[in-house]
Amino acid sequence: MVRADAVETRPRLRRRSAGRLNRTPAGWIAAFCLPALALYGLLIIVPLGTAFYYGFFWWEGTQRAGFAGLGNYQEILTRYPLGTEIPTALWHNVLFFVGTMAIQNTVGLGLAVLLYRNPRFKRFFQTVFSLPYLISPLIVGYIWSLLLSPNFGPINYVLRSVGLESWALPWLGEPTTALPVLVLVNAWQWIGGPMLIFLAALGGIPQELEEAAALDGASPARAFWSVRFPLLMPAVGVITVLTFIGCFNIFDLVYALGGSDGGPGGAMDVLGLLYYRTAFEGGTNAIGESSALAMLIFVVIFGFAIVLERLLRRREVTQ
Amino acid sequence: MISRRYGVLAALGTLALVITACSPSASEGESDTSNGGGETTLEVWGWRQEDVAAYEKIFQLYEDANPGVTVEYVPYKAEEYDTILRTGLSDQNGPDVAQLRSYGLLQPVVASDSVVPLDDEVDALADFPTEVLDGARGVADGQIYGVPFALQTLHVIYNQAIFDEHGLTPPETWEDMIAAFTTLNDADVVPLAATVTDTWMLPIQHEIFGASTYGGSDYLEQMLAGAATFTDRPWVDSLTTWNETSPFWGSQYKGTSYTDAQALFTSGQAAMFPGGVWELAVFAQANPDLELGIFNVPPPPQAAVSETLVPGYLDGSFGVSANSPNQEAALDLVRWMATPEFGQAFTDELRQISAVPGVEPSDELLAQALDAYLANPSPYVTYAYFSSGEPTAWDLASEGLSNFVLGQWSAEEAADHIQRGVDQWFEPTQ
Repeated sequence: MVRADAVETRPRLRRRSAGRLNRTPAGWIAAFCLPALALYGLLIIVPLGTAFYYGFFWWEGTQRAGFAGLGNYQEILTRYPLGTEIPTALWHNVLFFVGTMAIQNTVGLGLAVLLYRNPRFKRFFQTVFSLPYLISPLIVGYIWSLLLSPNFGPINYVLRSVGLESWALPWLGEPTTALPVLVLVNAWQWIGGPMLIFLAALGGIPQELEEAAALDGASPARAFWSVRFPLLMPAVGVITVLTFIGCFNIFDLVYALGGSDGGPGGAMDVLGLLYYRTAFEGGTNAIGESSALAMLIFVVIFGFAIVLERLLRRREVTQ
Repeated sequence: MISRRYGVLAALGTLALVITACSPSASEGESDTSNGGGETTLEVWGWRQEDVAAYEKIFQLYEDANPGVTVEYVPYKAEEYDTILRTGLSDQNGPDVAQLRSYGLLQPVVASDSVVPLDDEVDALADFPTEVLDGARGVADGQIYGVPFALQTLHVIYNQAIFDEHGLTPPETWEDMIAAFTTLNDADVVPLAATVTDTWMLPIQHEIFGASTYGGSDYLEQMLAGAATFTDRPWVDSLTTWNETSPFWGSQYKGTSYTDAQALFTSGQAAMFPGGVWELAVFAQANPDLELGIFNVPPPPQAAVSETLVPGYLDGSFGVSANSPNQEAALDLVRWMATPEFGQAFTDELRQISAVPGVEPSDELLAQALDAYLANPSPYVTYAYFSSGEPTAWDLASEGLSNFVLGQWSAEEAADHIQRGVDQWFEPTQ
């Protein structure tokens, strides 16, 4: 009994004393959390709630007119050509995401592996590849639109001077090349991100595992795909989610490259641009319609994100 | 205990800071438009950042004649102006007088009762032509909400030196024009610096080359009455007429932006620029050595009219905020803006065509543009007359015409795109 008491009491005492020592007063916790919470509430929750509310009303300029119910939703989904532009823009976001995953993240992985295997100049290249990060996407877009200008851009000039006249295309003016160019320019800017994450993840994998695979006779490629890559899956998951968020929120770069119309024949039109046009270039009921569209976009992206997250979690567990 | 108390205090302090930081500064507008001691400051908002110095000179005339009144021109970025204005007009912190967009783009501020109807306030409006006033009219009530300030006319602007070098003169017929384009093409000079990627320029270029094919004002009347549509032959043919000039837009025209086209022209690589008369001041500033000329596109053989039509429209108007604390003074200012004194100062200082009746531009090219427009005016159909509902014909035309020149759609498909969109809200007058 005594023993049992002693056994029971000791940890309790330890817990209590440890709790005393480590406990931070709730006020301090609140003091540190409040600014972030206030900003989050002010910049995310309030606009979201406001958009949800505004979407249920008709608007005449900045004056609220009457209760619309789901009228604004019906309007944006059925009115020509907006009703057809929503799925097209969503599809462009999906293509942009797929293209970015295929190019930016695979090349980022390749660069990470190269730098991991050849540590010489690793710091230098890490910095070089991450530098475009520091530039605003708007500026990146304007710089690339100047570089790719068919009349004055140096890229077509170089192509012509080396005899590749047929390659000197109006890159941002052709509906077939505009979206691939967007993917490439975006990858140019952000490739440092996945590279750094993969590099950190590669550094966390014990060397012995690959050595053991090599001793068992696995080729370097086989050792990478069978040993390293499965262990990189958590990093792949993080990068996929970040890429997804970036690709579905894209606005600034595509605006700088193709304007608010989404480039030639709307080939680069994405949900962000569509929202911009509805809200800032729309008519009398712009607030109602754009609020409804914002909620629709939110629901679609939120839904996508949940499905993606579930899939990745499941894959991580099975790996 | 002490630390807990400090924690609570810290939390409250942070909260107070956040609340203070987020609270609106109510005194901001009061100092801008002070009314004490007989001094009145009127804020005039606009979208022309490049015009500040000119407006200072113009408003100096008013201030000299009206002691105690100061007029400040406050410009915002053109792309952000509409949004800023809609918010600004909703309370007393906004402008007293504001530059208002014309036609359909005016309607949101009219619908929210943000601007004062001027029919009974500005008597001189009665002297303005109806077509000009249409640009400042509220569609729902037919009232006038602004004093029109500038007319924009659409032409082909040419580089006189290049024309001289190749022995060319402004064309009298469509065939002459195509022959001149061909001569320049053969000499490796881009005949037309046409904008393609900035789609808002496409309906402008279409009006310049296609107006006489569909017939200008006569056809517009039929359209407004419901007797003609965008999908009828004359209008579809006007798209084809315009597109017939695309072989002369340069080899990489699909990627040519508005600024590219301007640079092609001002650098002397292109001989002509189809656009608005506002470009004259821009070109003169970019390259003061350029000797400029303008001509109007002669009707092609299959055109509906035989005259050389000149498209034009009202650029904007000056309206009075319904929430201005200085409304009487603001109304006095816009009354002055309808006088020849303001009109003359406007055209002299800003090198634009004043909308005030009887004002003659001192600039030779502007005078030529205005005379040609007054002789054979033609409407800017998609921008001016089918833009009061959503989607506007202007937006639809920008999209449709872009797909058309890029070879994605036929002329019929582009026209159908516009008609289908407009059919959702447009009610013919008969």
